[in-house]
Amino acid sequence: MSFREKSAWITFVLLLGFGIYFGEVLNHWLNPGEPHTNHLQLFLLLVVAIVILEIVTHTMMAIRSPEDAKAPFDERERLIALRATRPAFFVLLVGAFLSIGTMHLGANTFMLAHCVLLAIWIAELTRFGTQIYYYRRGA
Amino acid sequence: MSQSAAIHNNIRRLRFEQAEMTQQALAERVGVTRQTVNAIELGKYSPSLEVAFRIAAVFAKPLEDVFQYRSDAMSRNESA
Repeated sequence: MSFREKSAWITFVLLLGFGIYFGEVLNHWLNPGEPHTNHLQLFLLLVVAIVILEIVTHTMMAIRSPEDAKAPFDERERLIALRATRPAFFVLLVGAFLSIGTMHLGANTFMLAHCVLLAIWIAELTRFGTQIYYYRRGA
Repeated sequence: MSQSAAIHNNIRRLRFEQAEMTQQALAERVGVTRQTVNAIELGKYSPSLEVAFRIAAVFAKPLEDVFQYRSDAMSRNESA
């Protein structure tokens, strides 16, 4: 498995962890009366944790195979990155329009912001998931 | 991205003839990753003209000795 494929796997798995935040927000939205965790704190905690884990895992990978880590993207890797952007952009576009739609269903600013954030999250998962798919397929 | 059915290559045989050159060695000389050489060799990825020429240059062969294009129409004509 190439350095870039491993990197895509790590980022994909770490991004999945951000689902905890959306689970918490959904729980708060469905049960508004119940006590809930501070959303901003949880958000910042997850972002910092993901960034730290990204740095640690990528540093470990780079130490194990420094040549692969230093090598620039070759044409196949660039093509995979570009191809993965296309479905991700489509997901983001649909998510943005659906987010706008929630305003007409009575969603407040808080929910609108989270719908946009959710669309970004799913789009990023789509991007890295598609990259993994192409790396697994060979090209 | 992959037109694997139409473009065939002799990279495996040419590597064998070059004292069992490894995919890694070829990749380093061409300037791509070993995984990309493997994908090209297996016909899963069709390289750009530039990379195709670089591979041919490593083996000191003309491009058509390394890569061959066979469309369905050509195959039908040959079998007829």
